[in-house]
Amino acid sequence: MPESPSPDSSGPPESRQPVPPAAAGVRHILRKVVPYVPALIPLGLTLAIVFTLLYESHLQNFGWAFFGFNFADYGIMIFVVGSFLTSVPALLLAMLIGLGISIASTTYLPRFVSAWLDPFVDLLAGIPSIIYGIWGYFVVAPYFGVNVWPWSVMHLGWIPGFGRAQFSPAPSGDGLALAIIILTLMILPITTLLMRDALRSVPRDLWESGLALGATRWEVTRRVAIPYAKRGVWGAAFLGFGRAIGETVAVAMVIDQAQKLPLNVYDGTSTMASLIIETIDSAFILTPQGVLYLRFLTELALILLAITLAVNIAGRWIIRRTFTEVAGI
Amino acid sequence: MSAGASIPSDGAVMAVDKLSVLSKQRRILDGVSLDFAPHSLTAVVGPSGCGKTTFIRTLNRMTELTPGLRVEGAVRYLGQDIYDPTVNPVLVRRRIGMVFQRPTVFPMSIFENAAFGLRLIHEDEDVIDAAVQESLTRSGLWDEVKTDLDRSALSLSGGQQQRLCIARALAVRPKVLLLDEPTSALDPAATQRVEQTMERLKQEIVLVLVTHNVGQAARVSDRLAFLHAGHLVEIGPTAEVLERPREALTQQFVTGRYD
Repeated sequence: MPESPSPDSSGPPESRQPVPPAAAGVRHILRKVVPYVPALIPLGLTLAIVFTLLYESHLQNFGWAFFGFNFADYGIMIFVVGSFLTSVPALLLAMLIGLGISIASTTYLPRFVSAWLDPFVDLLAGIPSIIYGIWGYFVVAPYFGVNVWPWSVMHLGWIPGFGRAQFSPAPSGDGLALAIIILTLMILPITTLLMRDALRSVPRDLWESGLALGATRWEVTRRVAIPYAKRGVWGAAFLGFGRAIGETVAVAMVIDQAQKLPLNVYDGTSTMASLIIETIDSAFILTPQGVLYLRFLTELALILLAITLAVNIAGRWIIRRTFTEVAGI
Repeated sequence: MSAGASIPSDGAVMAVDKLSVLSKQRRILDGVSLDFAPHSLTAVVGPSGCGKTTFIRTLNRMTELTPGLRVEGAVRYLGQDIYDPTVNPVLVRRRIGMVFQRPTVFPMSIFENAAFGLRLIHEDEDVIDAAVQESLTRSGLWDEVKTDLDRSALSLSGGQQQRLCIARALAVRPKVLLLDEPTSALDPAATQRVEQTMERLKQEIVLVLVTHNVGQAARVSDRLAFLHAGHLVEIGPTAEVLERPREALTQQFVTGRYD
């Protein structure tokens, strides 16, 4: 193999020596194998996580009670419901607000204004969740407890779930609604960012064609730009949902942790992730209950992982289907 | 734009009067005056950067979408200046349609693409049905798509997409259709189909075609305007301009000796 780019062949011609056949074979194999090493890291990591969770849980059989609402019987449903109760409304809010921001930024604002405002979205996307948690706990919660919730109980109390039988003597703002608000703010940057980029990718001449037919900017946005950017909008939804359902610290700080279903939007509850972070300490007590509880938490973590993966796969499928639809294949 | 306006006595549907377009740096168009008679196809040719795309975009106020451009002079459509402050650009664009360099079908079905402009004015469903068929027939696409109007428009070939864009513009019954290098992204066979469509349409409405292809202008246009560096150098019947150009610049351009 005189042309092979081995170290020998790169030297001066007089020092070039024929590569021994055995060494050439090893090189050939290395060249084939080495690219697999980094490529296999993600797969290995996934398998390692699943294996660890399966091992730590000892596949402890908690019986059908596991899929029930009774925490005392090792039931997980309270937390599954809690996770969806926080992440689904947060996602809907973040998608709506994010769509509004991205439409304003790409369509209505003068370019120099959006060029100034856009970086703040990117900046917000990078703020660690603990900071959102602290801000929610020390600033937003007291404010909402004193000013917003009393108002909403009074005026929105007729909506099921928005009323409250009695005010607690010292109203704390923590609870389901505050967790939803903090989660919304946390995932808002990423949904906005993805939808903004998707809308920005709508070709200029497509825009102009809509306007040339006598459409207003809003009509082009609604009928042409958003359908064209559908893929990005779905991507934003799935990524946002993944973040919302998995968010741990910020939620745990503001949800007024309680192992029960919430009675109303102001009430405390738990999500799968927040239960794990709040009670993991008690799982390390070396008693039979402690061991059992650790297994319970790892199985709960497996369920959370399964839900996240399922959403991810569904997302990929929908995005691929949307893409073929848009591309007309 | 008053509904009762008719073609003025001098016969022009559209008249451009001392039109200049200025960006911050330079004059893109400088004092261009010409008019467009009914049932005619006027081709605007010129070298790259001569302002021909800017020119056609001033005819339905698309220039306004580019920040920093200033338009001087007047563009009269049926006698009314479309740049009058009281005129709504959205209404201008409904009367004066436009087709772009690249096919710009929307991500929806063939039918919905053709119906797009009609949906904007909330036409009745049966009116839309009839108009879609009519406009697709006028653009020469109907026979190819009549059985699968519900298919995504993006599944059509480039040439079909461009004829769908023409149909979409025709569906709102404009009196003027602006074509900005409509075949520059198409292969020769598709180009030929679009040219046939243009020849048919010029018997019905006013067509303004911007092209870099002198051969195309020779094939389809009645009148030829030559723009150079923002100036209208020459305009006249196509055959006359091509065979006996009055100006040396035109001579150089149409014979391909321009550099």
